[in-house]
Amino acid sequence: MDRFPNIAHFEDLPRPMGPGGISLSIADLCVRFDGLDPKLLESARGRYAPFLSDQRPQHTVTLYPGSAAYLDPAADGYFRALERPLGGARLYLSTDFAALWAEGTEAGILRVSSPEDGEATLRAMENYLRWVTAGLALRREAFVLHAAGLVREGKAYVFFGPSGAGKSTVAALSQGCGLLSDDLVLLLRREGRWMAAATPFKGALSQSAKKAGVFPLEGLYRLVQAPRHALKVLPSAQGLATLLASCPFVTDPATRHDRLMPLAADCCRLAGVQELEFAKDSGFWESIAGEKRDG
Amino acid sequence: MASSEHFKRNPEVSWRTIEGQSVLVFNREGEVQVLNEVGTYVWEHIGESIEIMAREIASEYDVSEEEALRDVEAFLEELKGSGAILLAEE
Repeated sequence: MDRFPNIAHFEDLPRPMGPGGISLSIADLCVRFDGLDPKLLESARGRYAPFLSDQRPQHTVTLYPGSAAYLDPAADGYFRALERPLGGARLYLSTDFAALWAEGTEAGILRVSSPEDGEATLRAMENYLRWVTAGLALRREAFVLHAAGLVREGKAYVFFGPSGAGKSTVAALSQGCGLLSDDLVLLLRREGRWMAAATPFKGALSQSAKKAGVFPLEGLYRLVQAPRHALKVLPSAQGLATLLASCPFVTDPATRHDRLMPLAADCCRLAGVQELEFAKDSGFWESIAGEKRDG
Repeated sequence: MASSEHFKRNPEVSWRTIEGQSVLVFNREGEVQVLNEVGTYVWEHIGESIEIMAREIASEYDVSEEEALRDVEAFLEELKGSGAILLAEE
């Protein structure tokens, strides 16, 4: 049976897990993790090397030991998480962590079920980072998208779609391109232009292959696997719908409506959304180049 | 069939109309639906009289008022079934 913590679980806190801290930057968003023990700090430094930062964090989360378990595991073995309001804050929990973030504040609490398990704690940190990045982004004219982001000749090409659509395949087939991510890409509106940024989230490809930075957004492509390559411009409403369907972590209706919708609509309007039918070879780049040539 | 006046939009559905088509996002499930022009007209007028809606649709498109009324009623049932609209007293 699922065990939902109450607000006291985040008020009567034990000592943090350790004295260490690490700051990670995703474009101009910076999140700091405090309360790390030395071993965990070393592991986190290794995993997130391209994203280590000394910027002033916009959000700091502290790690504490938690309860034995929160949610029951999913029957299919997949990651299971829930988000809901709790005492004026947002609660995010999974089988082995519970997190609380009061929106509008710069601090969060992450309680981990198995602090002695370094891998489980790193997973909890990463899931927390995904969640809080999505929230912080929306307050700064940005949003996260389930996508593979690739840099070619200094421009970002973003391929999005649900699990199994082919994001990692597209990334793996793009030799010579810089990798922003094969899982989640941050899209930002800066000075009237849309940009794409690398994220530290673990996908199928190696973290060390990533090209940290921010690049002008050249195109948004909804992935559809097919026997041959083809590009099709999607009408505005369909383009927005497909983009929204690939935006994770926004379960609060007011936030989705007030912040995400206008941003995503503007991104679609300026960058356009195309459907890319692709076969499992790198020939799709020729379709994209051909479309750019033909204008 | 209840009149559209008996329905309200589900607050758990975020929506936006772009170039005459409404995009609906079912926040809990993350599902997204795009409505055509007529569907968008009905969606934007949820809570109003279905007879007036049918009259407007009939004057805009090549259908009779009776046919438009049947279509509006069927579409409202569809929206109700998907959870996009709720009975107003709920």
